Amino acid sequence: MGNPFGVARGVGKQLPTWVGAGLLLGVVAASALTASQQVKTNPEAQTLVDFNERVKAYLTLRDKVDGEAPKQQETKEAAKIQEAQRGLFAAIRNARVGAKQGDIFTPAIEKKFRALLSPEVKGQEGAKAKATILEEKPVVELKVNTEYPSAEPLSSVPPTVLQALPPLPKGEGLEYRFVRKHLILLDTRANLIVDFLFNAIP
Amino acid sequence: MPIRRRRLTLARLTVTAVVALTVLSAQQLTLPNEKDSVHFAVIGDSGTGGSGQRQVAARLTTMRASFPFDIVLMTGDNLYGDEGKSDYASKFELPYKALLDAKVKFYASLGNHDEATQVMYEPFNMGGKKYYTFKPTKASVRFFALDSNYMDKDQLAWLEKELAASQSDWKIMFFHHPLYSSGMHGSAVALREQIEPLFVKYGVDAVFAGHEHFYERIKPQKGIYYFTSGGAAKLRKGDLKPSELTAKGFDSGYHFMLVEVTQTTLHFQTISDQGVTVDSGALPRREQSAKKDQR
Repeated sequence: MGNPFGVARGVGKQLPTWVGAGLLLGVVAASALTASQQVKTNPEAQTLVDFNERVKAYLTLRDKVDGEAPKQQETKEAAKIQEAQRGLFAAIRNARVGAKQGDIFTPAIEKKFRALLSPEVKGQEGAKAKATILEEKPVVELKVNTEYPSAEPLSSVPPTVLQALPPLPKGEGLEYRFVRKHLILLDTRANLIVDFLFNAIP
Repeated sequence: MPIRRRRLTLARLTVTAVVALTVLSAQQLTLPNEKDSVHFAVIGDSGTGGSGQRQVAARLTTMRASFPFDIVLMTGDNLYGDEGKSDYASKFELPYKALLDAKVKFYASLGNHDEATQVMYEPFNMGGKKYYTFKPTKASVRFFALDSNYMDKDQLAWLEKELAASQSDWKIMFFHHPLYSSGMHGSAVALREQIEPLFVKYGVDAVFAGHEHFYERIKPQKGIYYFTSGGAAKLRKGDLKPSELTAKGFDSGYHFMLVEVTQTTLHFQTISDQGVTVDSGALPRREQSAKKDQR
């Protein structure tokens, strides 16, 4: 996977020659192994691995800039809650200034997600889930790196749909939500739309 | 004063007295108000900062004088619209100031209009979590707050673990979306299919939800008492279409609930913003282990 967020990677200190040679051998061996594994790996499973890595990369970026914002912690002072959220939002937004739709939901991931979602909203059983998703009609400008408007309600995501989608890292505040038929990946700590998928459900 | 006018005045006075008595009796507590029972209030869809919220808050404060409760459950939509400092003030801190000053603890659950960062607000007593449980000291009642907007595997696993571990006589749930409803939104069927089997398996006694802007008491379902209380500041008059589920409903005014749990019975009284009791009753605890909660 490339670096989907356009974040410059730091250059490490100069390493001793033997360490470098060892590392090089290791990298070559690992690459050969990875290549052979990839041939054998189910491409769909690989797509999910890719999704997880992209999510992880987002969280790594967030962790990096987290210190720039006031710490999110329990407080009696409501002002501090918004200050921390807005600070984190701004820091992430600056750090992924070049981010665009599809950075996380790449075409392959998008295809996989549609395939996972489709059976969950089809038929009589699926109709209940779809009705839950579409119950709220939030008006949200779908744009990566923008804020989910406070005044707009959030859709409820049916448990069956959540169980069908790849689980998101626990306790990190990332959530799948819907804006009508569009799926969004929402960072609830920053109230930021990380990525979205147009017409994710039929 | 001519006799006719005197009679009229007397008649007016009598009418006024009757009205006053009616309102007074409506405000009268129907709850047993026992010393060792658990007292709490329920409000839902409360965070507008509008006159309805203030009226309910004032009534709630008045009722506390005769029914001392230290807990208020919030069934979600705690803050509508923006969530800045002034919003927390106008939609929560000011309306409930008298209760907050009296050290009443509010326990919030998240509605579809609430940002997840509310979990960080100490006066909501969520401990930084979107779902949590607590138990009043020395009482065999355990409360569970759920995030009904987002029932993922982690929350389901947590719920099962906590329910299995609880040995409280009473298990009481509160969250936003009603599992049974005769209103505009209707029953949260997809959610119900996931969580109700756990409620049944682990002996949940009562469930309080919001979301619908009215009051509805549902006929017991699978032995569980379900209440929708989502009119503490928002109101959709005429929105309740009583169905075969409905035991009692009220959709013509704002309301809140007072609840008292004794060892064997859950007593409730639902009161409108005008001080009229719109529903009340006593519901027996379902058969289950009488072991005390040691946790």
